[in-house]
Amino acid sequence: MAYEAQYYPGATSVAENRRKHMSGKVEKLREVSDDDLTLVLGHRAPGSDYPSTHPPLAEMGEPECSVREMVEATPGAKAGDRVRYVQFVDSMYNAPSTPYFRTYAAAINFRGVDPGTLSGRQVVEARERDMEEVAKFQLETEMSCPALASLRGATVHGHSLRLPEDGIMFDMLDRCRLENGVVIMHKDQVGRAIDKKVDFGKPMSEEEAAKRTTIYRVDNVAFRDDAEVIEWVHTIFEKRTAYGFKPE
Amino acid sequence: MVDPTTNLEDLIQIEICPARFLSPETAQELLNELTNIEGITRAFIHGPRLPTTVPYGPATGHDVDHKFSKTIKIGETELDLAVIFGRIRLEILNEEVRENIREVCERTLPMGYEFRQGLFIQKRQTVSDYAKRGPNADPTTLGLADPKGKVGNRVCMLNPAE
Repeated sequence: MAYEAQYYPGATSVAENRRKHMSGKVEKLREVSDDDLTLVLGHRAPGSDYPSTHPPLAEMGEPECSVREMVEATPGAKAGDRVRYVQFVDSMYNAPSTPYFRTYAAAINFRGVDPGTLSGRQVVEARERDMEEVAKFQLETEMSCPALASLRGATVHGHSLRLPEDGIMFDMLDRCRLENGVVIMHKDQVGRAIDKKVDFGKPMSEEEAAKRTTIYRVDNVAFRDDAEVIEWVHTIFEKRTAYGFKPE
Repeated sequence: MVDPTTNLEDLIQIEICPARFLSPETAQELLNELTNIEGITRAFIHGPRLPTTVPYGPATGHDVDHKFSKTIKIGETELDLAVIFGRIRLEILNEEVRENIREVCERTLPMGYEFRQGLFIQKRQTVSDYAKRGPNADPTTLGLADPKGKVGNRVCMLNPAE
């Protein structure tokens, strides 16, 4: 019998969603075109070539190295792309993903990425076209809700604040707005105005967000409701403590 | 305006914290309803700042033009919102006023709110207040603005003394 990776314990919807995010088997909910993605990332003009920091690997003549022979370079590394970043922010009010699970999703399912996990934001650094692949995956699937998650290169503090009346996570730089029932982004991820309003579609309803979230909350699925998760957390805590204990 | 004969120690302080940040329209409606209630001596709106330009990052200096950064009208007074309406702290005369305010909240805040009584606006000068404003500072502005900031455009008198 072939081994199947097991990602996360638990029987609740939150545990199931966490497994989905980690395994990358998530539902695609919306389409974001390449040009729209380039616009909101703000690293280069849409349609322009990827600027490079070194010639393509094929032209460089790499040294003889067994590791280089075993591991194929990512498309971005092969082409010599610059390293660029994408940063997501997820509201604490039942956002679909969280920094930890965005990081798991990136690190498990993509190569050549450097995810950074912080309390309120999650950044992925990678060669530009590899980074865009991760960003597109996370934006188009159920890992993001246009109202409760957003692309923010700077100024992320809205994640921990109450939602405004329209349900769009507070943003000091006002990058996303609700217009005619859909969420549009009219600035790039650092707050520079862009030429076009990028449409990210309808926000999730409160019920749908509660169903798709990876956040345990007392007012939705409480952490303590999931006996298997608690058991594993206790096990890991106990073992970490026991192995870290060094009497002298 | 606090009547100079009123003892500051007898005033009640309450805080109203809506379940959601209020849009300028709802904030204006709530504030207008509150101004119709007799017996509120001071009010303090609290919430995250709405900057006019991007303060840091690669876009520093670009205009923000925030959707919540609007001018609201309270009675005849116009007020530029420098923060999004997160919560309001009020200093009131007595418990009857408190119940009137609770009724207004029931009407204007359908999203739900927390309503509590406590000490939210300081009653005595701190060292910073003293250093900034001196010994004879106006007691009405005490605790309403950062003593290290500029008071001018942050404190609004709705019914200035004649």
